[in-house]
Amino acid sequence: MKKMKSYIKPSSFLIFIALAIFVALVPAVNQGYSMMILNLGLIYSIATYGLSVMLGLGGQLSFAAVSFMGLGAYFTANLCSGRLGFWVDTSLTLVLVLIISTVVAFLIGMILFRLSGTYFTFGTIGLVQVTWSFYLSYKPLFGGPDGISNVATLRIFGWSPVDYNQWFYVLVVIVLIVAILVERIRRSQLGRSLSAIRDNEIAAQTLGINVYMTKVIAFTIAGVLAALAGSLYAMHSQFVSSDMFTFERATSYIIMAMLGGVNNTFGVFVGSVLVTMLPEWLRGMQRYLQLIYGVGVILLMVFMPMGLAGLAGNFGKSIKRKLRSAAVKNAPAEKEDAK
Amino acid sequence: MNPILRLDKVCKRFGGVIAADDVTFSVMPGEIHGLIGPNGAGKSTLMNLISGIYIPDSGSIFLDEKDISNVPSHMRARMGIGRTFQTPRFLQRSSIRDNLLLGTDLANQMGYLKSYFGKKGSNFEEELDRLMKYLDFTFDWEEDINGLAYGQRKQLEIVRSMLTHPKIMLVDEPAAGLNNKEIDDVMALLNFAAKQFGIGVLLIEHSMDMIMNICEDIVVICFGKVIAMGGPSKISCDEAVIEAYLGRDLDASNS
Repeated sequence: MKKMKSYIKPSSFLIFIALAIFVALVPAVNQGYSMMILNLGLIYSIATYGLSVMLGLGGQLSFAAVSFMGLGAYFTANLCSGRLGFWVDTSLTLVLVLIISTVVAFLIGMILFRLSGTYFTFGTIGLVQVTWSFYLSYKPLFGGPDGISNVATLRIFGWSPVDYNQWFYVLVVIVLIVAILVERIRRSQLGRSLSAIRDNEIAAQTLGINVYMTKVIAFTIAGVLAALAGSLYAMHSQFVSSDMFTFERATSYIIMAMLGGVNNTFGVFVGSVLVTMLPEWLRGMQRYLQLIYGVGVILLMVFMPMGLAGLAGNFGKSIKRKLRSAAVKNAPAEKEDAK
Repeated sequence: MNPILRLDKVCKRFGGVIAADDVTFSVMPGEIHGLIGPNGAGKSTLMNLISGIYIPDSGSIFLDEKDISNVPSHMRARMGIGRTFQTPRFLQRSSIRDNLLLGTDLANQMGYLKSYFGKKGSNFEEELDRLMKYLDFTFDWEEDINGLAYGQRKQLEIVRSMLTHPKIMLVDEPAAGLNNKEIDDVMALLNFAAKQFGIGVLLIEHSMDMIMNICEDIVVICFGKVIAMGGPSKISCDEAVIEAYLGRDLDASNS
């Protein structure tokens, strides 16, 4: 029996190199407005990571990311803009957001997962509509259609990012931490249990998995990550308004996850950045943007359902196969590996 | 010694169909117990009742003399009920290693948090190697489960179940789709489970070869009712059993 391969695969090393180059080069070529857009892509990827745990691992389609982003964003906006009459330190606010979103996501998850499958998905759609209508109309807490402005920027240990380039470095670190956390989930019992629920709920039960609670845990993780993204958004853009948390926005996160490869940790990052940057790169074709977008999604589902990561994976496999058959052709005297 | 599994007057109906009618039998630890009957008799329903996918309408089910009739199925799995399915239920998009680790997860039961922080459980590779010695194929851990043949997947499901360290294994038609060599391997594996680990095995099978060779005790079900119980020699001569499988000669009884 072949020994289990070690954790570090050549592809991980390549990814690391690519990331290092990315982080080194980008601030040199990108500034100001386009850096801001890239930062937004990084912020969104945090929410998309949460979505990949729910959808990629757990197989549950949830639109709720924007509701929790709003929770994080408005909570931060209220505490850090002085509009309620007091100021809270932004680092403390981040911690509070994490704690509160854990509780809220857990409770809402407990309720929503009384429904299963498609009904659960509709439940999340309902949740999004409810939260959005509050975010849009309830002036005392959410500023109504005008939103909330003058949100303070992030301040850790007395240091604040002064421009979007510095924000970039902060966000890269945070996204890296989140990505590592999510990848570790994928390889742990929780990840396996979620995959079991996704692929075969009955078998999962007979393997001792508490399906209901495991789903709720995944939902909580997704909610916390989305709230974190929302909080960072508020501090980065220093302005929060309800059109960030519409149903349409919710679908864009799902597309980010699917484009990159919903089950691939690196793919989620790539997908989020691409979907966020594409409208900017296609500036000239503003009129056709929706059309391109729509056609692109259809093509994606037909030809690349596993996203870019799936494409890369298939590419890697076909290269391996070609190398293997070339090796066999060149050494016919060698004994072939027993399968 | 207490039976590891005991059914007491278990009844289950689905609308007008009586799937289980007053079913009573027990399985001892380390015993391979056959569950046979014609198709549609209610064997798989009994398996589902025991593993908790269905709840009995009346009657009780005891695991090691603990009443589990109302315990949810994931708890029953944690209490030691292992299960394989007629059509293997695996994670389609995961590697073989992840699929089998699900079994070890259940054996370890250390919870999500401890597993996340890397606490190592039982020695997975060693155990797996030992079990795979009974089977005639090898595989690459990282391969997709879909790369294996049907027969190999069926055998692997038994291995996964054994990795969960169960007290009793419910095995549903393991021989279906296997060639003779593979059937022999499965029999050796089940014997190993029963004799070495004292695991009770409840075995649904249509292959009389396997049943007669490997089972110490057999219960025969027809239309949800127990029509005979006993050892292989007694069962093969039992009139009710012969009638259920082969039918009654109407002419002979009329003349």
